[in-house]
Amino acid sequence: MTDKNSTAPAIAVEDLWQVFGENAAPALRDARGAGDDKAIAQALKDKTLIPAVRAANFEVKSGELFVIMGLSGSGKSTMIRCISRLIEPTAGAVRIDGEDILQASDKRLIDLRRHKLGMVFQHFGLFPHMTVADNVAFPLKMQGAGKAERRARAMDVLELVGLEGREDTYPRNLSGGQRQRVGIARSLAVNPDIWFLDEPFSALDPLIRRQLQDEFLNIQATLKKSIVFITHDIQEALKLADRIAIMRDGEIVQIGTPEEIVLHPVDDYVAEFSKDVPKGRHACVESILMDGIPDNMPDDPGIKIGMTLDTALTKCMELYEPVPVRDADGKVIGAVHPHELANALQAEET
Amino acid sequence: MSATEAVSHGAGRQLMLTRGSQAALFVLAVVLLCRLLGAQFEWLVKWPTALTVPMADWMTWLVGGFLDVFKPIARTFTFLVSYPMEWVGWLLNAVPWPMTVALVTALGWMIGGIRLAALGFFGLMFVVFTGYWSQGMNTLALVAVSVPLALVMGAAIGILAFEYPRMKGAVNALLDVMQTVPTFAYLVPLLVLFGFGPVVGLIASAIYAAPPMARNVLLGLERVDTEIREAAVMSGGTRRQQLFLVELPAATQQIMIGVNQCLMAALSMVIIAAVIGGFDDIGWEVLQTMRKALFGPAFLAGSVVVVFAIIIDRMSAALAEPRQPQNRTVAYGILAVGAAVTIWAVLAGWPPSGVAAMDGLAKRVDEGVGVFTATYGTTLDNIKNTSMFYVLLPLRIGLAEAVLPFTWGFAWTVKHTAMLYGSALLISLILIFKGRVTAAAMVLIIAYIAEIGVAHLAWPVVILGAGAIGWVSGGWKLARLAVILLCLILISGLWERALLSLYLAGAAVFACAVIGGLLGLWSAMSTTAWMILRPICDFLQTIPLFVFLIPVLMFFQIGEFSAFIAICMYAVVPMIRYTRHGLVSTPDDIIEAATASGAGKWQTMFEVRAPFAAPTILLGLNQTILYAFAMLVIAALIGTTELGQSIFLALGQYDVGLGITAGAAMAILALVADRLVQGFAEERRQALGL
Repeated sequence: MTDKNSTAPAIAVEDLWQVFGENAAPALRDARGAGDDKAIAQALKDKTLIPAVRAANFEVKSGELFVIMGLSGSGKSTMIRCISRLIEPTAGAVRIDGEDILQASDKRLIDLRRHKLGMVFQHFGLFPHMTVADNVAFPLKMQGAGKAERRARAMDVLELVGLEGREDTYPRNLSGGQRQRVGIARSLAVNPDIWFLDEPFSALDPLIRRQLQDEFLNIQATLKKSIVFITHDIQEALKLADRIAIMRDGEIVQIGTPEEIVLHPVDDYVAEFSKDVPKGRHACVESILMDGIPDNMPDDPGIKIGMTLDTALTKCMELYEPVPVRDADGKVIGAVHPHELANALQAEET
Repeated sequence: MSATEAVSHGAGRQLMLTRGSQAALFVLAVVLLCRLLGAQFEWLVKWPTALTVPMADWMTWLVGGFLDVFKPIARTFTFLVSYPMEWVGWLLNAVPWPMTVALVTALGWMIGGIRLAALGFFGLMFVVFTGYWSQGMNTLALVAVSVPLALVMGAAIGILAFEYPRMKGAVNALLDVMQTVPTFAYLVPLLVLFGFGPVVGLIASAIYAAPPMARNVLLGLERVDTEIREAAVMSGGTRRQQLFLVELPAATQQIMIGVNQCLMAALSMVIIAAVIGGFDDIGWEVLQTMRKALFGPAFLAGSVVVVFAIIIDRMSAALAEPRQPQNRTVAYGILAVGAAVTIWAVLAGWPPSGVAAMDGLAKRVDEGVGVFTATYGTTLDNIKNTSMFYVLLPLRIGLAEAVLPFTWGFAWTVKHTAMLYGSALLISLILIFKGRVTAAAMVLIIAYIAEIGVAHLAWPVVILGAGAIGWVSGGWKLARLAVILLCLILISGLWERALLSLYLAGAAVFACAVIGGLLGLWSAMSTTAWMILRPICDFLQTIPLFVFLIPVLMFFQIGEFSAFIAICMYAVVPMIRYTRHGLVSTPDDIIEAATASGAGKWQTMFEVRAPFAAPTILLGLNQTILYAFAMLVIAALIGTTELGQSIFLALGQYDVGLGITAGAAMAILALVADRLVQGFAEERRQALGL
């Protein structure tokens, strides 16, 4: 995705390290001399320390849905806990709207959490001793909001997640999907700008998961939060993300749009993820435009920018000459060879 | 554990000894040395008196000075606490009994519906009819003041240990010590600090009851789900808000278990504290009647204690469980009935002390016991004498001294010694031939113990033996700990009494392990068995230690055998519970795999369930050991000669030094045994990958 957004990034992560073990910070400083990031990580491992997040650098733009994906143990959960400062990173900076929260005082941090940050947890993290409404209103209570105000706001967000009528039940009486709706409602109660979601749908049944993903996209379409979303499911990542960062062994190996990840994996590890992904559904025709536009194109099946490969291919099944690709206004801005379309889809089968 | 393995190592055959057999052979060498050279060098067997240090005197001096400093503060505290105690006592005595019964019944209804309401009603009515109402209320007044103290102290310690992980190690060690030091040993320094009077019992019970609360608060806080914790952080709560609004409430269930244990411990200790002089409470009543051999009243008073214990236990345990809200109207109705009966009782002039309708019963119990002992006296004596002469006495002083013409029909001579060792040697040779070196060495060591008895064991055998076991179960560190701690007892001059404690506790633990193990196995095999045993176990674990002495005394009179039985009754419960639990809780998939392999019921039990249950059973054994030591001190009341007796004497003589030293010696024995068994349990757990 090109840099259309000129505003400052909502979150900027700069050279972030999280090393577990005793005396991690000095060890990391010493290891800096070892050379590049891989050498530093190796030097730390030699000292039996665990570099769980290594030299992470990325930005999340305002209103962007940024997905971090990786297998378990790849450091993605550690990463989101560093960004939200649930654990103290060993080195680096995390800027939220330009402010480095790793330098923030405890008081400032509490303030940020009360007004600006929201988080959803994999196993919901609901307070077992509180009703649904009290759970949702808890962050407001921390802010010092009055009882009536809390209740009103809780009802609003519960309605947003489709749980109206369940406000006075206890979490133990809800199904997994309903519990996560409560978790989502709670994280939205203070109307935060930044929304962290740590594998929010991983503990749910596939059917419920898809339903919640769709609702989540709907909510995001109206609220336009800046989101960091953790998942281990490539389908989920591709479905939701504006951009995806893929992690392996604490390292970000590739950052890109879903299309880039699917069509241009930087290495075998990333390619392995997208192997089973039906590319035609995620990649658009732009990704396989020919160099230049041929002068003479006999057929025009009506291929448009933004059309997925699947759709494009069904339109030119019978054709074997390049066809024009038009933008929204109907202006020809490129061409694509049907042969290439078929090729791009076939590549996945290997 | 297989004894040895002949492992061929490329170059040649080499006999590899396991850790266990190395240790066994080492101990055997020490035994041989002491047995053969003991006659020439007496110091090898008996630690020279010249080399003991007057540790008790030092303690008196050291602790005495310390206590003197704190005495004014403590006395002020006594003064302050005596007021709420008196108020609560006055209140409990002033409220007419029908009202109290109604309140407890209504409370039972609110907590656990009809079941607990009935328990509260019938339980308290029983107390009313025994005529021990006011004594009972006095005891409850003590509990009512000591429990809040213990809860606050315990919760504070638990939270502190949780908030400052660096203090956790220290706190855990402190809690271990607080729980292993025998109950009476607390009382001596407390007496000096707080002066005579009911307040000492109150404070002792608060101290004794705080550790279970602290442990459960800590455990509960540690078990709060990480995500719940993080959700509180991300909601912007301050540390205090996180703790009090989220973490503590989320840990409620575990904390309520702590409250339950705290209540039971406090009640038990309040009863025990009667030995330092009562003030008309129920513990004093039990003790007095027991001392006068008035078994009927003792039985009734003991039953009152049991009833209190059961009511308090079941009601507070119900609080720890999720429950349905009850209809309030019923509770109000109960209270209204209570008020009506109160008015009637006042008008009819029923004494507030209750209606002692059971004096007749007490007399009948007395007579019944009299008739029973008269009829079955010979049988009871036979049981007692047989166990004493053929089991306990030989174990204590060895066959060489216990075998007398009077009991065994012949005198022990050198010939018998030769026969004992000869047959032991034969067995061990056969075992060596089969490659079981550890077992072979053990046979010879057991022969040595059988010959001279636990009380006469040479000190190097005991200390190095414990060290060797420690080395096997937990490495050098544990071995060192065991040796150093036991050496402390050796030089303190309390060694002989400690060996007697070891003998009595050891005999009881052995009996409990066998009986409890079998009962546990039986309960695991048959649900009917467990249905019968479970309420008995619950009952035995609910009643305060003291009460165990009453039935034992009724039938076997004062003496070591009675003490032995009382200890066994109390200490057998964990063995049953843990054995059953371990055997029953083998994962289903493992059982299915065994069944699919064609294993029968008993094969599954011994080949699959038993090995899997081993760590749990070892933990049960560990608990049994600790229970046995706890009871040992109480059993001193009915005639033993071991450390417990010293502690008891110290209490009577106001001897701080002796009390603390003997208490510490007892705690050391319990602690060492605890660590040794835990080492094995840990090793087994790791071997099973649990």
